[in-house]
Amino acid sequence: MTVSVVGQPMPQVSAQEKVQGRAVYAGDIKMAGMLHAKLLRSPHAHARILSIDTSAAEALPGVKVVVTGDDVPRRRWGVHHKQQNVLACGLVRFVGEEVAAVVATTEAVAQDALELIRIEYEELPAVLDIDAALSEGAVPVHPEGNVVDEINIARGDVEAGFAAADIVHEEVYTTHSQYPGYMEPMATVAATDGNGRLTVWTSTQSVFLARQRLAEALDRPISSIRVIQATVGGGFGAKIVEERSSVIAAFLATKVDRPVRLNLSRLDDIQSGCFSVPMRIRLKMGMTRDGTITAKDVTIEAECGAYAGLSPEVMLVTAMRSDNMQRLENVRSHARMIHTHTMPRGAFRGFGGTQMSFALNSHMSTMADMLGMDPFDLHRRNAIRTGDLSVHGWEIGSCGLPECLDQVSTALDWTARRARNTRCGVLRRGVGMAAVMHVSGNRTMGNWDGSTVVLKVNEDGRVVILTAESDMGQGANTMLTQICAQELGIPVSHVTVQAPDTDNSPYCLGSLASRVTINAGNAMLGAARQARSQILEAAAQKLGCEAADLTIADGVVHSGKNPNLFAPLPEICRYHIFRHGGEGILVRHTHDPKTVMMNKEHYGNIAPAYSFAAQALEVEVDTETGQVRVVETYLSDDCGKAINPLTVHGQSAGAAVQAVGWTLYEELQMEGGRVMNGNLADYTMPTAEAVPTMHSDIVETDEPNGPLGAKGASETAILPGAPAIANAVYDAIGVRITDLPITPEKILAALAAKEQPHA
Amino acid sequence: MHSFEFMEPTTLAEALRLLATHEDDACVFAGGTALLLAMRQRMMVPEIVVSLGRLHDLRTIGWTPAGGLRIGALARHGDVARSELVQQHYPMLAGVAAGLANPQVRNQATIGGNLCYADPATDPPSCLIAMGAEVTIAGPDGERRIPMRTFSVDFFTTALEPGEILTGILLPPPDPQRLGHYRRHLRTAAEHRPVANVALTARRVGSAWDEVRLVVGAATPSPQSMTRAEAYLAGRAITLDVAAEAASLVAEELAPISDGRGDAAFRRQVVRAATRRIVAEAAGLDWKETAA
Ligand SMILES: Cc1cc2nc3c(=O)[nH]c(=O)nc-3n(C[C@H](O)[C@H](O)[C@H](O)COP(=O)(O)OP(=O)(O)OC[C@H]3O[C@@H](n4cnc5c(N)ncnc54)[C@H](O)[C@@H]3O)c2cc1C
Repeated sequence: MTVSVVGQPMPQVSAQEKVQGRAVYAGDIKMAGMLHAKLLRSPHAHARILSIDTSAAEALPGVKVVVTGDDVPRRRWGVHHKQQNVLACGLVRFVGEEVAAVVATTEAVAQDALELIRIEYEELPAVLDIDAALSEGAVPVHPEGNVVDEINIARGDVEAGFAAADIVHEEVYTTHSQYPGYMEPMATVAATDGNGRLTVWTSTQSVFLARQRLAEALDRPISSIRVIQATVGGGFGAKIVEERSSVIAAFLATKVDRPVRLNLSRLDDIQSGCFSVPMRIRLKMGMTRDGTITAKDVTIEAECGAYAGLSPEVMLVTAMRSDNMQRLENVRSHARMIHTHTMPRGAFRGFGGTQMSFALNSHMSTMADMLGMDPFDLHRRNAIRTGDLSVHGWEIGSCGLPECLDQVSTALDWTARRARNTRCGVLRRGVGMAAVMHVSGNRTMGNWDGSTVVLKVNEDGRVVILTAESDMGQGANTMLTQICAQELGIPVSHVTVQAPDTDNSPYCLGSLASRVTINAGNAMLGAARQARSQILEAAAQKLGCEAADLTIADGVVHSGKNPNLFAPLPEICRYHIFRHGGEGILVRHTHDPKTVMMNKEHYGNIAPAYSFAAQALEVEVDTETGQVRVVETYLSDDCGKAINPLTVHGQSAGAAVQAVGWTLYEELQMEGGRVMNGNLADYTMPTAEAVPTMHSDIVETDEPNGPLGAKGASETAILPGAPAIANAVYDAIGVRITDLPITPEKILAALAAKEQPHA
Repeated sequence: MHSFEFMEPTTLAEALRLLATHEDDACVFAGGTALLLAMRQRMMVPEIVVSLGRLHDLRTIGWTPAGGLRIGALARHGDVARSELVQQHYPMLAGVAAGLANPQVRNQATIGGNLCYADPATDPPSCLIAMGAEVTIAGPDGERRIPMRTFSVDFFTTALEPGEILTGILLPPPDPQRLGHYRRHLRTAAEHRPVANVALTARRVGSAWDEVRLVVGAATPSPQSMTRAEAYLAGRAITLDVAAEAASLVAEELAPISDGRGDAAFRRQVVRAATRRIVAEAAGLDWKETAA
């Protein structure tokens, strides 16, 4: 019998090389003749560049070239809005924007040279927040104006829905920007060869999107560029298509015609942007007395900073995704994406979901209190179910939301802990919960969401997988390995997943939208089954029996009918090569999910599956110091079949920690558009000592569209943390914080305001 | 980072000579945890870095019943925390050393470097002042000895003259009647450094206290002795109300700093809470029952 590999907790296939320090990150790569680059950034939020004098920098021994906006291609790049050049051309639009780059023999020389570049700026008035950007006569960040994108979605009859409501509640929530905080700051090595081709090793979530972007920014044919993914030390969305340093590094290599390495320091990485999109969300909701939501009206103002990047896509998620989590009929949202003269913001784990989850779940808890209902019951009453068609046309093939709710409430002992709260004493405890949904895959990036896996079976029966879906630490390669090993009946150690390489891997979109397990997993399943049948055909020929009688286990093909008929895989795979004119087993499978592009009204089933999660937690609030401590948290993720439960738990724990950081610890401090805490001593991410007792569980729904029933995990898990904490704080001290982060100062101010007798 | 020359003298005299010769171009390197950060950010650009690493005498911790404790300036926080002498005779200090920063820093950073850098967001200075510590300083003209309370002068400023080296810290012999407590407060659990701390020592006289020393650190440019609260607490039976009143006096007298970790009003509130708690705790009272 084949031992099941799928569903078994196993360490990541990259674990050993990583703990031994042998995984090769872009910043580790050394090449003969390699040079080093450093970037000069704008000190102004908005200024015209009057002149740049690079002569002193160029004269410094060891400096090979100094480039500025005058040297870069005129063609602009961007996701939909083509707004950026390789370096700022004539105008800077945020503090930290790259205005010049130095290539030198060492990093230290390049750094010294930066200090010798003289730039004359004419400072211009800057808009630094949403209100300034929207005010009368505001300076436009781009000629098109400060509203770069606007979304209107309406379904049902919202006014009638409010009229039918017994209670209506309206509130404004604000969310702040979070740094992705991956362990590896951006790093790139780029080199040209004698034929004029450019090869780029970089930390990316998508080699093909990286190549497309390089082709655009460097204004050269796509196929003249090769992008190879180095080991990625975390991405969290920032390394999809928005980071700029790989573009600059590649351009510099073409300038000096020698290998160039550009490693960002932590400060550089923080200054270059890539934080999440801050938003102001006004939410109005009506309910009948029994808790049924009758109408929902949402207004969103989101800040993308100087360049739009993926922010409009992020905002679309905020504007509509959570509507699909509940059985709603009357919903309306109006969302605007606004430019400011601040660092560009964009994709971040959860992709716009965290912002709305904070508003929605804070609101649900408040309204549960208004109705005298338990928030779990309120969520259960409205939850979407398996087989439903949502208000925006999403086909819910599997939904474990009710089970997630049950799991976390039971695990936290919700009812008992909630009853225990007496709201007295210096340290007060409270409990809170939240429920969320996310997509597994998404067709809206270019109306395609497929994935291709090439599987090569070697002559010894071991296999190599070629894909361009990226493992950025989340476990994609382990997932592919497990599916492949199980289907082929070989040990996981006999499977190698090659790093994405645009010259050798099949075209893939990469790791975004929680799409890799469901789409690449299906492609893997198809490829492995194809290879398996070829192996069995060859074995049947060699053994003189029917292929249908054969199976593979532990790398040996054997007959179920006759125990004397068996052959180890190396024998069969060599046989296949020799008997097919030298052709080995090399298969390719493309999975194209049966989803649709949403129509102009944003209607349509965009994803092959949807995942759900719930979280319940307890906090302790120090009423004298304002400190909030998460004591214990339970998180349940409905990710369909958990191909690797160990990874799912790891992702759930990591997501919960990142959410705690966003809610309580991390706060980007800016003054005049300048980052004031651009290092990890002052921008405080959670440390091991700062995390609560963590528990996670898995609800294994059987997703009909998923490989072996699987969906996506990990992004869903970051969504419920913030509102669960805010709800628990409210439970503890009767103070509702509607603007993130929840700082000690806000707690103290709210407590003081509560004690003031009303005027 | 700029290139520099790394010198490793084997005697104190040689180290002092190097500092005298190179004057402003030279600086002392102990554990490097503060210095290297400053050099990487180019806030300090020394040409000559004089390591104290081979001055083994400066690493030792010694105790005599009559003379008290002597901690070499080069003892690391971890050495202080693990020292049986410190644990036995000065548990308050052992606790401070064991609880600051994180294991990596405690195993690399020295207590001398901590005092000499004079970063306000640290723990040992207020504790040492409350314990009545003195420090010994070696210079071109020999060694001098001054009270710790005059050593910390201001933000990143000490009483060290150019070319001097801090050699050790002296603590008076332990007094069995003297109680000692310390509290540090982090703005959030994810913070690395204290936003405020309070050190309290006092002599028990019957059920009251005498010779009270109450020192606030991290919330002020350099540790501040809370003289009004010290006077108020002396000779009084400690109740929760007395603790709260002492906390109010401290909050009034405090001259807090404002920075990224918290503004003056926040620091004042945190110090008030910490003071109430430490006084209550020292008197064996439960501060969790009532809020100030
Ligand atoms: C992440 C982190 C967290 C921290 N958290 C805390 C905390 O919670 N509480 C706390 O108290 N501290 C904390 N610190 C500070 C830490 O304690 C100091 O960095 C450390 O004690 C400095 O000692 P060092 O031996 O590394 O000094 P170095 O970096 O070697 O030197 C620091 C300065 O002092 C000078 N110097 C050093 N020794 C002498 C001497 N004997 N004579 C004259 N001059 C000298 C040097 O020239 C230099 O200017 C933290 C530091 C870090 C990096």
